[in-house]
Amino acid sequence: MKPPRFDYYDPRSLDEALALLDRHSDDAKVLAGGQSLMPLLNMRLARPSIVVDINQIEELNYVRASDSGIAIGAIARQRALQTEKLIAERVPILREGAYYIAHPQIRSRGTICGSIAHADAAAELPALALALDAEMILTSAKAARTVGAKAFFQSFFTTALKANEILTEVRFPAPPKDSAWSVLEISRRHGDFAIAGIIAGLVLESNRAVIAHARLVYFGVGPTPIRVTAAEEALIGQSASESVFEAAAQSAKQGIDPTSDIHATEEYRRALAATLTKRALRAALQKLGKT
Amino acid sequence: MATTRTVKLRVNGVAYEHTVEARKTLVDFLREDVGLTGTNVGCEHGVCGACTILMNGETVRSCIMLAAQVDGAELMTVEGLAKPGGELHPIQESFREKHGLQCGFCTPGFLMTTYELLTKHPDANEEVIKEWLSGNLCRCTGYQDILESVKLAASRLRNR
Amino acid sequence: MATTEPKLPSELPISQPRHVGKDSARMEDPLLLTGKVEYGNDIRTPGMLHAAILRSPHAHARIKSIDTSRAEKLPGVAAVLTGKEIKDWSRPVFGVPEGWTGYALAVEKTHWVGEPVAVVAASDRYIAEDALELIEVEYEPLEPVVDALKAGSASAPNVLEGKDSNIAYDRRFVFGDVDDAFASADLIVREQFRWHRSSGNPIETCVCIADWNPFNGMLTLRGGHRSPHLILPALVISLGISSQQVRIVQSPLGGSFGVKTFARYVVLIALMAKKLGGRPVKWTEDRIEHLIGNSSHAWDRHYDCELALKRDGTIAGMKMQLVDDLGAFSEWLAIGMLLKPLLCLGSCYHIANVDYSCKGVITNKTPQGPLRAFGLPPHFWVIEQLIEIAAKKLGLESNEVRRRNFIKKDKFPYVSPSGNVYDSGDYETSLSLLLSKAGYDELRREQQAARTHRRLLGIGVVSSIEPGLTGPPMLALASPRIFSRTSSPEGILMRIDAFGKIIAELGFPPGGQSQHSFVRQILADYFALVLEDIQVITVDSLSMQPSTGPISSSMAIALSGAVLGAAARLTDKLKRAAAVMLEASADDVELFDGQFRVRGVPGKSLAVAQVAQFMMARPDLLPEGIDGNPQATYVWNPPDRTIPDEKGFGRYSVTAAGAQHLCMVEVDRETGQVKILKYVMVDDCGVRLNPSVVRGMLMGGMAHGVGAALLEEYVYDDQGQMLTSSYMDYLMPTIMEVPAAEEHEMCTPSPIAPLGVKGVGEGALHTTPAAVLCAVNDALEPLGIRITEAPMTPLRIWWALQQAGSH
Repeated sequence: MKPPRFDYYDPRSLDEALALLDRHSDDAKVLAGGQSLMPLLNMRLARPSIVVDINQIEELNYVRASDSGIAIGAIARQRALQTEKLIAERVPILREGAYYIAHPQIRSRGTICGSIAHADAAAELPALALALDAEMILTSAKAARTVGAKAFFQSFFTTALKANEILTEVRFPAPPKDSAWSVLEISRRHGDFAIAGIIAGLVLESNRAVIAHARLVYFGVGPTPIRVTAAEEALIGQSASESVFEAAAQSAKQGIDPTSDIHATEEYRRALAATLTKRALRAALQKLGKT
Repeated sequence: MATTRTVKLRVNGVAYEHTVEARKTLVDFLREDVGLTGTNVGCEHGVCGACTILMNGETVRSCIMLAAQVDGAELMTVEGLAKPGGELHPIQESFREKHGLQCGFCTPGFLMTTYELLTKHPDANEEVIKEWLSGNLCRCTGYQDILESVKLAASRLRNR
Repeated sequence: MATTEPKLPSELPISQPRHVGKDSARMEDPLLLTGKVEYGNDIRTPGMLHAAILRSPHAHARIKSIDTSRAEKLPGVAAVLTGKEIKDWSRPVFGVPEGWTGYALAVEKTHWVGEPVAVVAASDRYIAEDALELIEVEYEPLEPVVDALKAGSASAPNVLEGKDSNIAYDRRFVFGDVDDAFASADLIVREQFRWHRSSGNPIETCVCIADWNPFNGMLTLRGGHRSPHLILPALVISLGISSQQVRIVQSPLGGSFGVKTFARYVVLIALMAKKLGGRPVKWTEDRIEHLIGNSSHAWDRHYDCELALKRDGTIAGMKMQLVDDLGAFSEWLAIGMLLKPLLCLGSCYHIANVDYSCKGVITNKTPQGPLRAFGLPPHFWVIEQLIEIAAKKLGLESNEVRRRNFIKKDKFPYVSPSGNVYDSGDYETSLSLLLSKAGYDELRREQQAARTHRRLLGIGVVSSIEPGLTGPPMLALASPRIFSRTSSPEGILMRIDAFGKIIAELGFPPGGQSQHSFVRQILADYFALVLEDIQVITVDSLSMQPSTGPISSSMAIALSGAVLGAAARLTDKLKRAAAVMLEASADDVELFDGQFRVRGVPGKSLAVAQVAQFMMARPDLLPEGIDGNPQATYVWNPPDRTIPDEKGFGRYSVTAAGAQHLCMVEVDRETGQVKILKYVMVDDCGVRLNPSVVRGMLMGGMAHGVGAALLEEYVYDDQGQMLTSSYMDYLMPTIMEVPAAEEHEMCTPSPIAPLGVKGVGEGALHTTPAAVLCAVNDALEPLGIRITEAPMTPLRIWWALQQAGSH
């Protein structure tokens, strides 16, 4: 399993990289962490004539504060999710989610932006981006534009990213101070892609166990990560109780768009989504100290 | 030429300079151009971990990296663990004592993973150790003796 | 003067064995730990080319044309091989029963997705793969045969040309009076089971380097070849080459688990070498090729079984019917996996009346090939599950049913219904040990308590038999012409050099099972030497003694026998020289604690090295018939095996290791996921030559069994496309999926095998699938669910939970 021939560039500056993409557009692929692209190259399922390796662009390697949230540059590694203090302080659910992302060796090369741009619907980071209302900065030689997560993820492995653009930054706003979040995933083995997964966020009213806000985003159960607002609405204004969680779970079942493959049928995925809804809400509630 | 690349790097402390085809994987480069065959190829899609080496102190899967990407890097492979005179590294000694290997093919990958693990987390408990080892496949040992080997290595390194 | 073979370590000529039976540092480790070992893929020979194989994308198709001209013109490509040359230069690959295979490369038809269609040799693998893309093949797709149960019907298209059906093997074996057993039974339980295919998947794939010199006719093969003498006849027959012109140089292996005979690919790469006319070519199988194209898938079975019991739980008889989807060819020795259950039809239980019917059918899938435990894991699962079902129906505790049916310890050597003999065992004691170590009663209480909280905990307690050293007699049931033999030779050459060091030469390479180390251990105790004074090497196929190699749990037995036999011969020779030096009669000289001494005459003794050096220095003083060369060879063969009669009655194997395992699981009733909470094993493999080595292999076999029970499956769609063609979808267990297991030793030494050992190389894979699968069913039992399909994936379990109306 050896890659096919390609022309290789490893520009030192973002401008250089963007110029290359502008010139070669549809024939080029951006190589960041390589943990998704390289297997595809080895299997010759991807056959770009140009590979633009952005790992030498130091200006893209950052995790920094951005308003009250964080901004992550194109080649910041997934491992940073577990080691960066800024993330632990401002968006700790990212740190929790990293536990499910493959294995330590993958996380030392794989990039956060790369996973988001690759947009595997069963991956954790695209779902976290959607759940946390992340904003993506898409940069081309001519312009930079900001695209919200919902508009960014369009279909299987398909995003708003144009052929001459690089996802140079993802911004995660800080979630509400009184929110609690939970990431859960069902996979065949530890570190595998999710058969079904959930990011759940909960805010309760300040003096009673009534749900003020809820965020339910599912992955592995559709062509993109899916936020099921109907399930969220089933929670808001209700008491944080098992029967309410059950209602949300049933709503989630209908609000996703799963397919069947050798590991799971559509029906199974729907059932898992329902189960995960309840378990994630319980976990979030526990974090709020209100079991 | 955009289809080749000249890389200057250090492997196990020794400097190398090679011109390689851009598409050549890092593991093939190490095995063929640098001549260090200790790192093995098991799957070529980043799952089995047999090809694990250290790049600038972090474990990476060399089957899903390009040789072109290591210009200026410091690499460490299994050949860099033991002292040239024949003295095994404490991690290797521990694997030997606890029978943490049988056919040996996955072993270099486990040794390098263990090296980073114990460098960064010298007090790693069983849960952390297992998480770190979860990306390396072994078909012979069933992992238990590997786990014991890593625990012994941890205590040996702590007491060094 | 015959020396009797030591039947226990205490019978070695040493007052206290220091190495045999003890943990001992492995001689293989230093090179493995430092990356200095040379596996097949590490070999570089001058001018070596690299091969890549073009494989069929169709399960069943006619090849209308192949145009390799563009590929041949690619710079770096040396040659391309297609079916036309294959047909002219070779015969179909070896398979049993004969006549159900094809050529090493598809000639006019392709029979499975992944079947080789062309081979390219180029200056590197990258270019070779580029060249594959330039080969134009015109296929005419044909209707694939994918359903094994329909493959045997008259309306199914024939997969193989020239055959009038897809049934390669169909035989029924009846032992005892089955009709009477069933007629007089108080209870008959019947169930059907489905076992899906998996394979060995060592972390190192197959590697073969071939060099066929047209000037001297020598074919040299390097790489990870497990058993050179085993594949030699297959090469001779397929390639039409004379045997003394084949030289196989074996590299240490990165595991095998049955895979590394890969005879068809050795033939294929040899033919590529032939085309290259003297340039060596290396083929390194990549992982995707290994998953779809290596003829090593195993057990794709449909079982229909019945157990007949008396009211008190004693088993009167068993009927077992199975259909195994062999894939496109009945290749190599795969058929043996249908037959091996005959060696232990009743497992650890005395079942006198058995009707065993097995059918091997041909379909458009990857051919089956040898896999560790060789057809037995599904067999034991079926038996244990039927016992569970029967016990429940009879209102008896299932372990009590097991005890009542165990072969009693005073019945050994036990002649099983098929005539195969179990040498020793004490299953009741083993089971008691298991249950006590596992805290069984407490586990049942835990299960009860969990059930009150709607948690699904299950416990599986199972038994298995691991026949040690099988081989030709079993295969005679599929090809009497080739396999009416009792031999499974294992030979060794041993010599003492001028400095008193021992060199032992084996015919197979190290592959993880520490045989080189245990040879050293035995010799160190036999001659009272330090381990470092003994060298154990692998020599090539022209230099080696006849050898079957490490297959079918045999090396502890056969290699020990060879070592002891050669040591005895060498000792006999040295004794005669020592007699001259000691001025005594050879009959009065004995070896003990590394010294030759005269019996009853203390004070006069000579070290082994002294005697050897005397032999080499003073051949003029040696008695008639003794040369000046302290060297001996010995070829050990299993005693007492017979060629089976037409009913299949025969003595097939040498030892019978027995195992009892306990597994406790929790099933998540909402997701169907299984977590293994506890795993305990008791294994009786007789004397353990190196306890940590045995334990390590058992743990490995247990992990492999977890994979087989819960994770590993090759999935085909209805067009014969294999959907699990990478490690993303074919799921190997990682450290997270394998429980920490407890292992306890039980030892009933073999009265037959040397040193009391029993073969244990295949080990826990026999038992673990049954333990895990029965545990899952025990967890689901209160819901009225029984799953009879393996692996028990979360999807299958969830589906069963849904059917039962419970979440």
